[in-house]
Amino acid sequence: MRIRTGVAVGTAVLGGAVVITLLGTTLSLASEHSPELKAAVRGTAGTPQGRLPHAFLHLATYPDSMAGEHGSDGGAHPDWVSYGPTTTLQVPAHSEVTVTIDQYDSGGTIYNDYFAHPHGTVGGTETVNGKTVTGIDPDNVGHTFTLHMFPNSTQPDLFVSAALPAVADNAPTEKNGYQKPNVVTFSFITGAPGSYIWNCEFPCGTEYQSFGGPMSTKGYMSGTLKVG
Amino acid sequence: MTDIQATPTAVTPSRPGGLMGRLNIGTGVLGGLILMGIFWLIAYATLSHGPGDTDSFGSDRVICVTMVGWLLGFMIGIGAFNGPVRWLLGKDLATEEHQFLAGKDQGIGRYFRYTTDHKVVGIQYLVLTMTLFFVGGSLAMMIRTDLITPGSHLFGLQTYNAVVGLHGIIMIIATIIMVTGPFGNFIMPIMIGARDMAFPRLNALSLWLIVPAVPVLLSAAFMGGIPTGWTAYAPLSNEAPPGMDAYLMTIITFAISVALSGMNITVTAITMRARGLSVVRLPIFVWGVVTASLLGLVAFPLFMTAQILEGLDRTAGTVFYVAQNGGSVWLYQNLFWLMGHPEVYVILIPGFCAVLELAPVFARKPLFSYRTAVVGIAGIVGLSGLVWAHHMYITGWAPDLGGPFMLTTEMISVPTGLLILVLVGTIWRGNVWTRLPMMAGYAMIWNFIIGGVTGIYLSDIPVDQALNGSLFVTAHFHYTLMGGAFVGGIAGLSYWFPKMTGRMLNEKWGAIGFWTSQAGFQVTFMSLFAIGLAGEPRRVGDFPLTFAAGNTVATIGAYVIMTGMLIYLGTLVWSWKYGEAAPPNPWGAKTLEWQTPTPVPLENFEVLPVVTSDFYGYGEPEPALDPEPVGVPAQPAMAAAVPVPDTVPESVPADAVTSAPVTSAAVAAGETAVPPQVAATGEQEPGEDPAGAGTAKEEEQ
Amino acid sequence: MTQTTEAPPAAPQPKQRSQTRQVVLMWVVLTILLELFALFVPAHLMGAPASNDMIDIENSMTVFSVTAAPVAALVWAIAIYSLLRWRHRGSGPPDSAGAPIRTNVKVVAVWTAVSSLLCLFLFIWGEVELSAEQSSAAASNGTVIDVTGQQWAWTFSYPGAGGFTSDVLYLPVNKPVTFRVTSEDVVHSFWVVQLGTKIDANPGETTTASVTPDKLGTYAVRCAELCGIYHAYMEAKVHVVSASDFRAWLKSNKAQG
Repeated sequence: MRIRTGVAVGTAVLGGAVVITLLGTTLSLASEHSPELKAAVRGTAGTPQGRLPHAFLHLATYPDSMAGEHGSDGGAHPDWVSYGPTTTLQVPAHSEVTVTIDQYDSGGTIYNDYFAHPHGTVGGTETVNGKTVTGIDPDNVGHTFTLHMFPNSTQPDLFVSAALPAVADNAPTEKNGYQKPNVVTFSFITGAPGSYIWNCEFPCGTEYQSFGGPMSTKGYMSGTLKVG
Repeated sequence: MTDIQATPTAVTPSRPGGLMGRLNIGTGVLGGLILMGIFWLIAYATLSHGPGDTDSFGSDRVICVTMVGWLLGFMIGIGAFNGPVRWLLGKDLATEEHQFLAGKDQGIGRYFRYTTDHKVVGIQYLVLTMTLFFVGGSLAMMIRTDLITPGSHLFGLQTYNAVVGLHGIIMIIATIIMVTGPFGNFIMPIMIGARDMAFPRLNALSLWLIVPAVPVLLSAAFMGGIPTGWTAYAPLSNEAPPGMDAYLMTIITFAISVALSGMNITVTAITMRARGLSVVRLPIFVWGVVTASLLGLVAFPLFMTAQILEGLDRTAGTVFYVAQNGGSVWLYQNLFWLMGHPEVYVILIPGFCAVLELAPVFARKPLFSYRTAVVGIAGIVGLSGLVWAHHMYITGWAPDLGGPFMLTTEMISVPTGLLILVLVGTIWRGNVWTRLPMMAGYAMIWNFIIGGVTGIYLSDIPVDQALNGSLFVTAHFHYTLMGGAFVGGIAGLSYWFPKMTGRMLNEKWGAIGFWTSQAGFQVTFMSLFAIGLAGEPRRVGDFPLTFAAGNTVATIGAYVIMTGMLIYLGTLVWSWKYGEAAPPNPWGAKTLEWQTPTPVPLENFEVLPVVTSDFYGYGEPEPALDPEPVGVPAQPAMAAAVPVPDTVPESVPADAVTSAPVTSAAVAAGETAVPPQVAATGEQEPGEDPAGAGTAKEEEQ
Repeated sequence: MTQTTEAPPAAPQPKQRSQTRQVVLMWVVLTILLELFALFVPAHLMGAPASNDMIDIENSMTVFSVTAAPVAALVWAIAIYSLLRWRHRGSGPPDSAGAPIRTNVKVVAVWTAVSSLLCLFLFIWGEVELSAEQSSAAASNGTVIDVTGQQWAWTFSYPGAGGFTSDVLYLPVNKPVTFRVTSEDVVHSFWVVQLGTKIDANPGETTTASVTPDKLGTYAVRCAELCGIYHAYMEAKVHVVSASDFRAWLKSNKAQG
């Protein structure tokens, strides 16, 4: 049987389009999707911009992936360091956001001292285990929480970085099986709605310069933060 | 698998082939899987943990060894080593076995075997190339879809980077083989009056090395992708996930294949030319294929070296590219571009020369200034080895060499300009027959001028400071490689399609598809030029609002390209199966491949031709001697030079179409060695251009 | 058959001469159109320059475009004309062949000479610009800024002002600055788009680039070398400010540091 040219060409176009759509859908579904953590708003805070709603986020950094968004079995890479409970964050616009991070991981020397200091936080400080500091020992950094985005006309710049000191080797073990964490708290003020990314600037991954693996894979040491 | 002997129309009494008769792509896959499993077990047991527990290279070692197992097993399974082993054992092949290996009387099954016939290898390359283009093109659509608006994260940045790398390397591999593979193998030996390539088994090897490398490359998608772009700059590649191992194993395999086919094509063109086919009578396409192959032969071992060093860095803890431990990132970049710049001419020259080859046919004029064309090709080849560092102007490596590299880079515009002169001079006052091959040639002129001019900006160091690493570069090399070389490949495919498949390509739909894709191409890459000039870096998965309009337009253009390419592909497949039967010489061309019957017999020529003039004498008075070399009695000594004695009857063309079950009455007529165009008209679709019937009588003399 | 058979340079027939005239006319028209494009479009797309280097770059873009336009126009004019006038439609090859011109030594010689001269012009133009850029860089005695690229952030140190570090780049207007660029990890490329400055940031090496910004404003630093998952977001802001504002900014940072 002989098929008409137009039919064959139409089939090719449709078939190709279907294949490409399927490929796109597969890739899209296969990409990391993590549950969103919304900051809880409790009361207001006095800021240089006046009284603003006060939102709170509670995060943690773990030496493995058992406690984060990858499930208790740790997902594909249980031994990778990770942020928890998730890496997809949302905070309200025009608010003060106070972030508390329980840092359970060990650490070492950071490449760039700049990230051993808090930047873009309220007062340029952070508190480590209740003590307000303007920097931590660059030779004893566990992780950092560094928030940024390219300059864009539709959303305000938001550069925030906080350093999380490493847990000492001899720290006592907690009930959850990890060593007693360093608790770091810092606040920043959001403006108009926008989308940002954050990542860790301490070399805590695998491969070359320890920036591969969890450092180069979304959902471990990096994520997104949506304002508004 | 379709490997079962579907047509046991054995002409010879006993079925030859022995072990080879039972090996095919199916046994190749089986062998590959088995050896892959064995290698994995061994590697997992012995190599997954190195000395000390800080060794992070274990999994990469296991993956690399497993991939070697697959590649080796596939090659054993398909019978790549049977010949060498038999030769080592002192058992030479009998004539029947040679003919069996060449795919004699095996129908469609020979396309799935380690078949040595250059025509089979050519078709295999063609299908492989089209498959790669389909995959690479689909990935391009993923890229453009993801970039349709800022922040539209269809897959996220990680998948985006992985897709960009895969798209790049698949397209580079496909464009390297797209002309020298199908046409260099199928057409070039016939063009020079040879019965096969110089090393038929190496020819099969160079093809079958790529086939198992494709799944290796695609497996990267499941191992974190190739998030480094196709350039795979170290040390980003040292940091990358195991998908990088897939990349480097593929490159190592592919480099071997390119070097082998380069050597084979070169030796064939040097030693197997017909009597009288002196170097100055060589069709220009042969020049293009041979010089590009030679260039590949020189360039690709460097690529292989670069990736072997990278492999050692990734698996054994060496520090070739780790600056913190005394390595150098510039070492990788130099090795890479020492391959990379010759490589763009490996892609470009054959595509351009395909257009130069068909331009005289469609303009009905001699090729304008043949020697200028040869000088142009030689100039490009000579200079292409001296320009690599123009990719490294802004790296900080050897700033004092900026001037010299700027000079060599700009000098290459002179021989390239000569090729354009030859093309334009050939068109000048010709009777331009505007069929698809020629029209693709016109599109190539348009695109190539734009690609060339934008290359001039990039060759200038101060301007390159603004443009390097931006989408301007992306648009520039798409204009040269896709708009120039790839369109040249399409011209070649449209031109040689009747000879290779025995069918005419449907002109109307082919043209619709081609021009649709060309329109989209202009839209997409002009937009990329614009946003590149405005400052958008290349390979970014997201962009500020400034670039939103340009990206959206580029994506719309990309969908037009996709539609056009799919129409062309559909036309191609339809024409291959149902197109009207092609006469032996539908274009009225003078080169040797058009003087053979269609389908081309197993050994191409009943008697080897003797060449008495070049092939571009359109509109010139016939020389005293018969200009049509076929039919000139060959010296018996010439014919005896091939393994098969001339006494073997050649009247049965051993093409797939004739012996496969799908045989149509029209093509079966070819068995009587009569050009099959007679029966073709009966099958013609109403309203179609009756090209075949019309051209039948135009066949030269 | 020899290849170099000259085309019989018989006196051109009137028809042929008029065709040549038409091609030349088309060439002229196309050239004018392309020149208009060359003069106004490429440099405009690059945006307003904010340094002498960027002005030079945009001028070079225009000069190269203007130079290339007639060449492109010639090739396209012949191609388009051949489609309009010399076209053979039909399903079979043309009955008659075209003029059997084997070569034309004069044309080849002129073409080669002209393209070589154009190439030489390009090279000299580039060399002059390059040496001007280098000499101004050598003479510059301005602010030194250490630029560090890392996945996926830029930081800028001001060693002349106590060595404090910032994630935003401040530059004094009309004063030369020299960037000393390096990387902590993979290869990045430090690109200040509107200043026309770009230099790779390599691990284990320090590369330098100099520029004199001459326009107040806020610009972008982008990474121009794929450097991993957040390559797209590896950007920073550049503020080109007056000398007094610059001093004030330095002071406020020193006080903080």
